[in-house]
Amino acid sequence: MTTDELEQRLAQQPVALLHRLARGRIHRHFRAGKRRLIELLLQHSSHNRAGLESDLQALLEARHARSEPGEHRLHSPPPDTRKKAPQQPPLPATIESAVSLASWLEGIGVPAPQPFVPDPWQTEALSAVSETDVVISVPTGSGKTYVAVEAARRAMEDNRTVIYTSPLKALSNTKYTEFSRLFGSDKVGILTGDRQENGQAPLLIMTTEILRNLLYDAASGEIDIRLDTLGLVILDESQYLADPERGVVWEETIIFCPSQAKLLLLSASIGNPQDIADWLTSIRPTACRLVRHSKRTVPLRAGYLHPNGKLTPLFRSLGIPYGHPAQLHPEAKRLFLEYEEETLPSGRSRR
Amino acid sequence: MPPSIHPVDLVTALRHKHLTPAIVFLTSRRACDEAMETFDHADLVLPPVRQAAIGAALERVIAQYPSIAEHPLIPIVQRIGVAAHHAGHLPSWKIAIEELMRQGHLDAVFATTTLAAGVDFPARTVVITQSSIRKSRDFTDLTIGEVQQIAGRAGRRGKDYVGFAVITPSPYIDLNVLTKGLTGQPEAIDSQFTISYPMVLNLLKAHPHEHIQGILAKSFAQFQLNQRAELLERKLDLVQTQLEPFGPRVCTDWITQWQTFDHVRKRRPARHQTHRSDSPEIAARLSFLTPGRVVGLSKGRGIVLRQYRSKGQKNSMLTMLRPDGAVTECPVTSVREVYDRTYDCAEIPTYPWCSAETFDRLSEQLEELPPRLPILPILASPPAEPLPDAVVQSLGDFPCPTCSSRPACQKDFPTASRLRQEQHRHTKSIQALRTSLWHRFQERVEVLQTFGYLTPTTQLTADGEWARLIRIDHSLLITELIRADAFTGADPSLLTGVMASLAHDDDRPGAFPRISPGLSSLLRQVRKLAESLSPHEDPPLLRADVAALAERWVAEPTLTWIGLCRLTTMAEGDIYRLLARTIEFLSQLQTLKATHPGLADAAAEALALIRRGVLEELP
Repeated sequence: MTTDELEQRLAQQPVALLHRLARGRIHRHFRAGKRRLIELLLQHSSHNRAGLESDLQALLEARHARSEPGEHRLHSPPPDTRKKAPQQPPLPATIESAVSLASWLEGIGVPAPQPFVPDPWQTEALSAVSETDVVISVPTGSGKTYVAVEAARRAMEDNRTVIYTSPLKALSNTKYTEFSRLFGSDKVGILTGDRQENGQAPLLIMTTEILRNLLYDAASGEIDIRLDTLGLVILDESQYLADPERGVVWEETIIFCPSQAKLLLLSASIGNPQDIADWLTSIRPTACRLVRHSKRTVPLRAGYLHPNGKLTPLFRSLGIPYGHPAQLHPEAKRLFLEYEEETLPSGRSRR
Repeated sequence: MPPSIHPVDLVTALRHKHLTPAIVFLTSRRACDEAMETFDHADLVLPPVRQAAIGAALERVIAQYPSIAEHPLIPIVQRIGVAAHHAGHLPSWKIAIEELMRQGHLDAVFATTTLAAGVDFPARTVVITQSSIRKSRDFTDLTIGEVQQIAGRAGRRGKDYVGFAVITPSPYIDLNVLTKGLTGQPEAIDSQFTISYPMVLNLLKAHPHEHIQGILAKSFAQFQLNQRAELLERKLDLVQTQLEPFGPRVCTDWITQWQTFDHVRKRRPARHQTHRSDSPEIAARLSFLTPGRVVGLSKGRGIVLRQYRSKGQKNSMLTMLRPDGAVTECPVTSVREVYDRTYDCAEIPTYPWCSAETFDRLSEQLEELPPRLPILPILASPPAEPLPDAVVQSLGDFPCPTCSSRPACQKDFPTASRLRQEQHRHTKSIQALRTSLWHRFQERVEVLQTFGYLTPTTQLTADGEWARLIRIDHSLLITELIRADAFTGADPSLLTGVMASLAHDDDRPGAFPRISPGLSSLLRQVRKLAESLSPHEDPPLLRADVAALAERWVAEPTLTWIGLCRLTTMAEGDIYRLLARTIEFLSQLQTLKATHPGLADAAAEALALIRRGVLEELP
């Protein structure tokens, strides 16, 4: 939909719907008239037009469904003209009352210790990494480390060398301690610019820069014995690929990674993991497998804590409404507006 | 009401609702430290059992890292069960806090958002207090990915049924950014591929020049450029199908033919031509009427401040400085004489068109001019011939006027020419996308050739062979320094100082020890060289004050860590990071053993001296 079409489309809608659309998008939208509201909506969503369009569509569909039994509205939208709208779960009903604090706080506690059962995605990633390169993009705290540890263990059982890289020296140190505890200190080594500790161990931890340097040395003939038996390279926090200063190091490492070694890229949730996987497929001998999911292992709830100590849920729904325009809890909204009134110089809006 | 919640109240509220342990992300280190101070007299004391547990856990970490035994925060950590964790702390302190957190001894940790990626420990609750973070100089909104990274620390697998992300407002928070961040899809990441000098040297060492383009094509950067190129190619295909009906007619390339014809037809003089050009006498003068020129007008004299063309005026215009500091505008035709006298004039793009000092100086000089000035003789070139009619007459040569497809050509030309322009544009951009990396590589190669690291046939020279081992920032500057023998005979402490000033890229101000004269003169040399290299490589900050700090640490082996920290206002963690980065730089120099044994030995000696006390605790 072009901007003009969208604008026209918005202009056809009743102002109430526009306000619904503006909720959570535009600060104090209720002050704006229809024309100004459309202007603000377009302006605000200039970088995420698709989001606005899909929300508009969802709202229209909801309204359409309600008015279905009755007569066909004059301005009802034409049948879906958009190409392949992403299938979205139905919008949480707005009429439904907001969640209460008590039920929001319910369920705090420590689960009884259970035997560890890997998630399906973890099993999938592990079986894939023995055959090919794998890119994992999952939310923070989902258990990427488990995959790294198990993959390393399996590679080491096959008498292959494993290299684990992290972006920060601090993280390297943490992992060094952690892995030494898991595998025994004779199995784990750490390499820094000027030091080697247990440099001939089968599992080597280093920063990505150090690995890049090793690979450059190997490419120019100074063969490092460790690269011959290299079976697995684990790049943790691969989203650093987009770091303005250091991202290039990740690319160099991946380009020069020996083809007999498998690559395991661990990354937090990013928008285009498929691109990374496609890229790896295009430059590596085997097709790369992408493992991604966005569901958190431990569900997350969002709350709002007012400076006076009052706690309320942040959203109307219990969990976080992923992929939907945020519907703030009325109490949180009221408190936040109050906060803004108090902290902002009067008569001057933030925007 | 306070603008944001008091840390003590925050911890009380979290404890009350059983939302501990929590990580509280604050804007700055200072905010974290101030939050810790508020607990000094708080009566949120933990039960003795838990205090003892924290004490015991701390003992175990201290046994491994003795440097934190005296840490000033230990009493609060033990008494209240809260701690601060940010880049200003030593790594060993951060490890200790992470360990305590993992074992579940603490209730809250105050951390900075800037290092959300470096905070590698989960909690039940994450408290978010701001919607923007400081990146280099200014604050930018958190991206969706960053918000999720932060919120993702909440909820420990196996220890919680559910995690909580609690937002508590502070001034200038934008709730929109956070709610969008919590509910949205993380952003796509883009390649940040850059071609550095060491990369070029290392590539050319291992691969022949003609293979490099293929290697660069394997980068994610090229992958993404190709994606964009493919998008354009699809557009190009569309344009080409649209162009199909405009294929060859009577003449094969009728679009160009018509364009030329049309152009010439339009240039045929209409009834009379409106010339906006100046007469030859005036035109000859124009090049002399530059800012600072003294000219004679019908009344008095003036100094030219600028020359410009104005829409409503037939002739070029001048802005003049007249006696008594008046600034006037006049057309060039009103200039009677051009004198053989000019003054320096620092131009600026706004009124009064020259800098204030220049203005004052010029006004003075105008008053003091002698009554007679030499006149500049200006030769006017003979008036230019009017456009030869040859082109116009050649109109008869065009087949168009009598061609059978003339009406069709005339009708289709606007569409067809627009499409063809689009086609050219796309073809050009596609080509640029496909080859831009290669061009950037070639640019680097040319620089390396001029400096003599590469031969004209792109082989590594003797200097190139060792220079490729320096794979850090500012590599060109470092290798040039080595070639200029800047470090010959320099003792380890001087070398450390210079490397520290190269490695440090933070401009946080602070108080530092005095710099030694030897280091200061060496740094002057480095700075000069860095400046001369600035067209090819961004110069480093080269702070002398941090250099002095590193120098002192190496020069005085008896100096303790506490002693070093007392010499400066720099935070402990920053000093550590400075020295750790210096170690990285020095260890690169150490690899030049084969070609520069003296330098490598000095670097090795410096490394041995740096690695003591706190810097020996971690690899």
